Amino acid sequence: MKYRAYILVWAGLIILTGVTFSLAGFHLGGWAVLIALSIAGTKSGLVLNYFMHLKSEKELIFKIAIPLVLAVLLVFISLTFSDVVFR
Amino acid sequence: MDEAKGFVPEEVRDYTGAKLGMWLFILSELLLFGGMFILYSAYRYKNPVDFHHASEELDVILGTLNTIILLTSSLTMAISVSALQAGRSRLSAFLLMATIAFGLLFLLNKGIEWTTKIDHGIYPNSPTLLTRAKGEILFFGLYYVMTGLHGLHVLIGVGVLSVMLFFLLKEKITQSHFAGLENSGLYWHLVDIIWIFLYPLFYLIT
Repeated sequence: MKYRAYILVWAGLIILTGVTFSLAGFHLGGWAVLIALSIAGTKSGLVLNYFMHLKSEKELIFKIAIPLVLAVLLVFISLTFSDVVFR
Repeated sequence: MDEAKGFVPEEVRDYTGAKLGMWLFILSELLLFGGMFILYSAYRYKNPVDFHHASEELDVILGTLNTIILLTSSLTMAISVSALQAGRSRLSAFLLMATIAFGLLFLLNKGIEWTTKIDHGIYPNSPTLLTRAKGEILFFGLYYVMTGLHGLHVLIGVGVLSVMLFFLLKEKITQSHFAGLENSGLYWHLVDIIWIFLYPLFYLIT
């Protein structure tokens, strides 16, 4: 049943929110941002693949366009950030 | 005249085209917010301590509650679309109402959060805020702009979903013609994804 899968994904999202929240209590230093962003990335992946049905899209254009834009965004962010860091 | 009367135009629907258009819009929205996230990272890198102090002043409980509200609203939205596709339009309408209600609840919490901060004199360019450290001024500037733009998206989402609810009740959106509801749902999930990133970046800086 499809509803059941949605509820499982939702439960996963809530658990990951709890993990993000609890990890903020520990002093992980520089790793904290990286871990928080990785969890946020995982949560987005769940929303994109299941709630937004990206996983079950058959058309090739969806499989190409979305990762492409995300890659462009990643390039923008890393180039700008490296400019800030190494200036 | 008689010929014109008997003519029934064939309805043309481009389901994939409609969805692709929505996705292109969503991707442009990602780039819009992406620019702000770049600005945020640069300023946070330059002012780590100020960002940490300013972040501690935000209401973490309210932020976490809003995260749970928005995630749950995404669940009701996803099931609403599935229910309609399965022909259960009453269930679909009920879940759509729930989604709208969660959206309004999110905005209410955001409103409480903002008014509390404004009552304490923390708002862009306020005399109290300008006496603070440079990084804290930047943090609150980004906080108001980014959560504000996100809140605007939630508000627009609530409006769009309300129109879809109206169409659903009027049977303009049906089991065989659900693209409008599905695409509005995609927009709603995008708003959820943006909040997934805003939450740790503003409320949980250690």
